[in-house]
Amino acid sequence: MTQDRSEMSEDDDDKQSPPLDLRSAAIAEPSSSSSSSSVVVVVDSTPNKSRNCISSSSSGSLTSQPFPDHVLENVLENVLQFLDSRCDRNAASLVCKSWWRVEASTRSEVFIGNCYALSPARLTQRFKRVSSFVLKGKPRFADFNLMPPDWGANFAPWVSTMAKAYPWLEKVDLKRMFVTDDDLALLADSFPGFKELILVCCEGFGTSGIAIVANKCRKLKVLDLIESEVTDDEVDWISCFPEDVTCLESLAFDCVEAPINFKALEGLVARSPFLKKLRLNRFVSLVELHRLLLGAPQLTSLGTGSFSHDEEPQSEQEPDYAAAFSACKSVVCLSGFRELMPEYLPAIYPVCANLTSLNFSYANISPDMFKPIIQNCHKLQVFWALDSICDEGLQAVAETCKELRELRIFPFDPREDSEGPVSEVGLQAISEGCRKLESILYFCQRMTNAAVIAMSENCPELTVFRLCIMGRHRPDHVTGKPMDEGFGAIVKNCKKLTRLAVSGLLTDQAFRYMGEYGKLVRTLSVAFAGDSDMALRHVLEGCPRLQKLEIRDSPFGDAALRSGMHRYYNMRFVWMSACSLSRGCCKDIASAMPNLVVEVIGSDDDDENRDYVETLYMYRSLDGPRKDAPKFVAIL
Amino acid sequence: MEGCPRNRETIGPKLLDLIPQGRKWYQEDKNNIDQEKKLELRLGPPGGDEEDRSAMKKNNNTETRNIKMESEDKSFQGFNSNHFSSSNKTSQKRTAPGPVVGWPPVRSFRKNLASTSSSKLGNESSHGGQINKSNDDDEKQVEPKREGMFVKINMDGVPIGRKVDLNANNSYEQLSFAVDKLFRGLLAAQRESSGGEGEEKPIIGLLDGKGEFTLTYEDNEGDKMLVGDVPWQMFVSSVKRLRVIKSSEISSALTFGCSSKQEKMRH
Repeated sequence: MTQDRSEMSEDDDDKQSPPLDLRSAAIAEPSSSSSSSSVVVVVDSTPNKSRNCISSSSSGSLTSQPFPDHVLENVLENVLQFLDSRCDRNAASLVCKSWWRVEASTRSEVFIGNCYALSPARLTQRFKRVSSFVLKGKPRFADFNLMPPDWGANFAPWVSTMAKAYPWLEKVDLKRMFVTDDDLALLADSFPGFKELILVCCEGFGTSGIAIVANKCRKLKVLDLIESEVTDDEVDWISCFPEDVTCLESLAFDCVEAPINFKALEGLVARSPFLKKLRLNRFVSLVELHRLLLGAPQLTSLGTGSFSHDEEPQSEQEPDYAAAFSACKSVVCLSGFRELMPEYLPAIYPVCANLTSLNFSYANISPDMFKPIIQNCHKLQVFWALDSICDEGLQAVAETCKELRELRIFPFDPREDSEGPVSEVGLQAISEGCRKLESILYFCQRMTNAAVIAMSENCPELTVFRLCIMGRHRPDHVTGKPMDEGFGAIVKNCKKLTRLAVSGLLTDQAFRYMGEYGKLVRTLSVAFAGDSDMALRHVLEGCPRLQKLEIRDSPFGDAALRSGMHRYYNMRFVWMSACSLSRGCCKDIASAMPNLVVEVIGSDDDDENRDYVETLYMYRSLDGPRKDAPKFVAIL
Repeated sequence: MEGCPRNRETIGPKLLDLIPQGRKWYQEDKNNIDQEKKLELRLGPPGGDEEDRSAMKKNNNTETRNIKMESEDKSFQGFNSNHFSSSNKTSQKRTAPGPVVGWPPVRSFRKNLASTSSSKLGNESSHGGQINKSNDDDEKQVEPKREGMFVKINMDGVPIGRKVDLNANNSYEQLSFAVDKLFRGLLAAQRESSGGEGEEKPIIGLLDGKGEFTLTYEDNEGDKMLVGDVPWQMFVSSVKRLRVIKSSEISSALTFGCSSKQEKMRH
């Protein structure tokens, strides 16, 4: 977690372009030119793009005047290169063929929200000068074991294609992709100027792959491994960084479950004068952290490692941890605390007042330990914690953190029937104290409509509202009613809401509200909710901006699925697992919508009921169904 | 992982160690297996049974259908898994609701926190063990599916280890080429950085003792051996990891026991 929240959240592609018209996105299609004249002039003689229609004059005579059009293109190029937002760029590319071409040649940052929506070849054919690349693979529900491993999202075809097409590539940012050590080796070999590698929720590689990147990417500025599964190949990858001064600005390896060579790390930090972000894994102890801090006072973002001792505390004097933290005047983002020894927590007091981001989500801290800390954190904007801080801790947050924008409360004991130390009390307190709240993820066991309604009224800036009542189908625990009114209020009152995750006992009414009022909702997550097909129909017939729909264990069937056919091309994906879908219906949809890839996953040994669809995952694609689907995936 | 017969086969032997009957019994009686899996002792938090999806899957379907039916009655309040009707897919009768796969929606690394808060040593072995276990399981499950068998391979003088797919090779000679391919560039880079010549030279003579390097392996009993003495298939079935050592150090490498790296392992 860093100050840049978009790294962790799903909402980094919030400001979206209008969905691309599939026709105009295809390379070969000429767009219809606007002019009344019938003159066709080939301006650009490159072989692949021969059908450019630019009319020159209205006289109808055949003129060949490349000059003004060249000028136009040059001007366009100079102007378009300043366009950063992909929303704007997508819009510009739809103006006409000439703009499309120029935009394609000037786009340096490409974002691909679904790796199977197009082939790597299409990417390299359209965009010629890509230096930065963001790619997302598996759907989010794969994080929760709802998808068998080996489903796909392989980075290999992408890296091998880009290796030839973009030797100047500098940045790769992957999320939920399967990346192998060989892929990393190819990356390290192919891009001499490579600067930033960010792997979020990825897997398939190990410390050997990381070692290769560390060793060969001499210009590396950012190596961020975030919530990824990294196998321990027993390689001392820290020692693989080059011996001389590095360009490193950010090094995050808190998810790497392997011991590291601390001496090498110390040396690395010492020769990395530009290092601002350092996130250690739990194999770095407090004592080691102390030494690092003394050598790197310029850090702005720190992941503290284990925050505990390996052995028994020494008889000699213990290091002055607080002093080390006081020296770090620039630290504004603090995380780690992987195996926190709470008695050492006061060491962070000196930095609390400066903190804008604090992640305690691995630390089982009680309210008593927590309150003294949080009372100093007036500038806090992003706060992640475990529910062990209880409603009391949340009240303390509400009292102090008036600038809070993002809150995430994770369950210490993530089971349905666990204690549940936070409840509607905490949520209510936050809503009253933190009026600027924009994003919330809240796990609890008990909730009331009243508290949710209060939040909807007190926090008008909310764009992300994710409430997980862990016991399935739990109603408002005070009134016994469904949670419909609470979620209804959220969609009604939070006019900026783009992402919603619902839980608890919900009837079709809740979905009626969502469909009617969720005007900007792009991402919707539903689990164990709704009564009938009508619920899903409300959403599919409403929610005009819906892009990502993920549903599990809800009673939605074929009729509901069919009701959304008019919009599946305008969505990134739809996931429905353990619902009531039949294979026949999915097949019908697949036939009716050729640019939609309809995957039915799992349950192929389900002899009793072959028609039942365990998991449906469907998404638009420009290049047809993928060729790397494993056996348990049927593409209809 | 789920729904795949292979998965059951890998779990099966643990149970079958106690039961003298063969696999045939196992496959005929799926429901009992699911029950036995529940009883199986494993490392993990209570209820955190996300790996065991094949058992959960049937349960899920049942629950979903129950929910649909009961909500039609509009009398549905709270979760109720005890109602099994005739539209059941499975004959599994459970008295208590089992844990559901992927619920609550918390990523697996966040599920281990309850065990982490215990003593540090306990942390390392349970937490580390768990992570390793899941990693190993993933690798084991991944490998048969991909029909590839990846073993780790390290080379003296090169800090970066690799993995080689034994199933992609059919003979020692092919393996030798594969090793050359994996390490040639890295070795040259390593030599360059330590002041030697950085020219890439092919790594040859791995099997006959005549080259600068020799290929050795550690088998499933922990013994270190020279590669090439036994028939290929026998080698493939017993090899656990590979190591390319300097030919001059053959005798010392094979005599001494665990490498220091092994001793560094958390558990």
